[in-house]
Amino acid sequence: MLGVRNLLKTFAAPDGSERVRVVDVPAFALGTGEMVALLGSSGSGKTTLLHLLAGILAAESGEVVYAVGGKSQDIARFSEAERDHFRGQHIGYIFQTHHLLPGLTALENVLLGMSFTGRRADRSWATHLLERVGLSHRLEYKPGKLSLGQQQRVAVARALANRPGLVLADEPTGSLDAASAQQTLDLILSLCREAGAGLILVTHDLAIARQLPRQLQLTEINRAAAPAKGAG
Amino acid sequence: MNLFELILKQMRQRMLSTVLTCLSILLGMALATSVGIVSREGKSVFAQTDYGFDTLVGPKGSPLQLVLNTIFHIDASPGNIPYRLYEDMATQRPTSADGKPNPFRGLVKWAVPMAVGDSYQGRRIVATTPQLFGVGDQGEALPADKVPTYGGGRAYTFAQGRAFAPNKFEAVIGPEVAKATGLTIGSTFHATHGLPGPNDVPDVHAETWTVVGILNETHTANDRVLFIPLITFYAIFEHESGLEQINQIQQQAGAAGSPPTASAPATKTPAAPEEPEEKAYTLNPDGTITVKLPKDQWEISAILVKSESAATSFQLSFILRNLPEAIGVSPANVMETFFDTFMPKIAMLMLVISTLVTVVAAVSILVSIYNSVAARNREIAIMRALGATKGRILAAVCLEAGLIGLAGGVIGILMGHAFAWAGSIFLQRLLSTGLPWWHFASGELLYLPVVIAVSLLAGLVPALKAYKTPVAENLVG
Repeated sequence: MLGVRNLLKTFAAPDGSERVRVVDVPAFALGTGEMVALLGSSGSGKTTLLHLLAGILAAESGEVVYAVGGKSQDIARFSEAERDHFRGQHIGYIFQTHHLLPGLTALENVLLGMSFTGRRADRSWATHLLERVGLSHRLEYKPGKLSLGQQQRVAVARALANRPGLVLADEPTGSLDAASAQQTLDLILSLCREAGAGLILVTHDLAIARQLPRQLQLTEINRAAAPAKGAG
Repeated sequence: MNLFELILKQMRQRMLSTVLTCLSILLGMALATSVGIVSREGKSVFAQTDYGFDTLVGPKGSPLQLVLNTIFHIDASPGNIPYRLYEDMATQRPTSADGKPNPFRGLVKWAVPMAVGDSYQGRRIVATTPQLFGVGDQGEALPADKVPTYGGGRAYTFAQGRAFAPNKFEAVIGPEVAKATGLTIGSTFHATHGLPGPNDVPDVHAETWTVVGILNETHTANDRVLFIPLITFYAIFEHESGLEQINQIQQQAGAAGSPPTASAPATKTPAAPEEPEEKAYTLNPDGTITVKLPKDQWEISAILVKSESAATSFQLSFILRNLPEAIGVSPANVMETFFDTFMPKIAMLMLVISTLVTVVAAVSILVSIYNSVAARNREIAIMRALGATKGRILAAVCLEAGLIGLAGGVIGILMGHAFAWAGSIFLQRLLSTGLPWWHFASGELLYLPVVIAVSLLAGLVPALKAYKTPVAENLVG
């Protein structure tokens, strides 16, 4: 499903004196439908890595190859618009905080995820997803009227709206209490399994990571995340 | 949910800002539209070519003032002319009163005198002859070619009653006068000298007129006028004494004295009508009156003249131009000149103002959406993360600006017509003729895309800001 090779991303140091490596991944692979937890401490480049995998950020060098529909597509070579389009169609993204649009209802937020793919928005699928996350009675509620846990469940439904091949989840339970965190994690796992989607979930919480079939320390794949490098 | 629905939702979220921005566009558009209607349709109302007569004779002075006062019954009368001019034109007598050959002989089809200077409840009184209504001095119907018309070959007709007798205190009133004052057939009224303002003490004449006829609507300013016989105008004591005084002054100053500029001089009298000790007329047994003022002292405000032909019209104008006391003007030419001189400048000024309003409105669109974009960095980043391309975000912001321009523009056009409608009501009250405010012109529809384009252009600045919004930075936290 996903293969990463020699992926490099640097940022300018605050004083502008040098470039600081944040992501330096020699190789990483994820099979179709495979689920993996990436464990890393705060500032270890977890979010930057996910942004690179999603095409939100452009790598300076390396490959991010997706096998989609029998074809390999290296999004690192894509233009920004092509990466946006690819992301909309094939990648679901769950943020640490829900990042729902406050002016839209729960249902509209899920439909919004479908509106940028060029395909017709599937209202019944969006409704089904919200039912699956236990919010069938809150379809017309705006985020401000939902609890944090409910908001994050809407975000989970939105991430799966386009039936993505891969879901990237960035500390999806980080802002939730323990009960809500567990409930949200269960939903992510079960929905990804149902959809046959792969999952890369980054977390600093070992207990959360252990619930996924595979765990990786970020330092194992990202040389820039090694404490000795001091990168963040 | 498509992009359009999303934009509408976001506009609804910022309803106040959207409405205010829309309002500024709307005002510019409404102003431009109403100016367009007034300059376009106003000309057709004021600068009509067919007034039913071709030459308006009045005192030397401003032709525009003469036309406005005589035809539209607005502005002050520019002064008086001798009655004998009317007699020369109307009677076609071989020699004038001074024994010289009548210069107007053979040139005039019909002529109607008008004397102004009095009013009733704010409506102007015009003294004239029954010929205006197609009736001779003996009450007989005039031959068709001698019947005055008010344009389009239409003669005055009566909704009720008849034309006044030429030498009785009778009156014919316009339909709006009847409606506004409640005067009906048989009602009586006293004329007030001049057109007193709200704080003036009205100078009410003692003479009493009886309404004998109410005209049908003509949609001209005459609908707002009370017509009285010319002879009764000289029967008003203050008019008679005033004209006598003017004649004395003229005689003292010699024949070179300029004609008086006041319409109908009068002495100040109390508000209530007061019977003068000496009357300016004698009442005959048959109810008619004979005025004491000699005819050679009579003066009138203007004469409506229908020439025998276009050629005689030119001849008439030439003769009048060489007279010391009068001028002859073509009302159509005067109004056209007025519009061609002033209206383009006024319209241009108003268009400049409306363009400025539109530009200010465009700036307000820019500021409003720019602020909204600045406040929506995270939302834009979320949409980008969900797959929205930069181009789509740019298009969305531009579309929002364009929608504001479209809404403001369309409502502005309608509002402009509403303004013109209000102006039409005002004109209707002033002149008994309104503007065709419902007429849409292609120019208005051309202005709409311009407004939308300006709005889109204004939206481009915030759109570029949205376009450049860094996604990763705004997703963190």
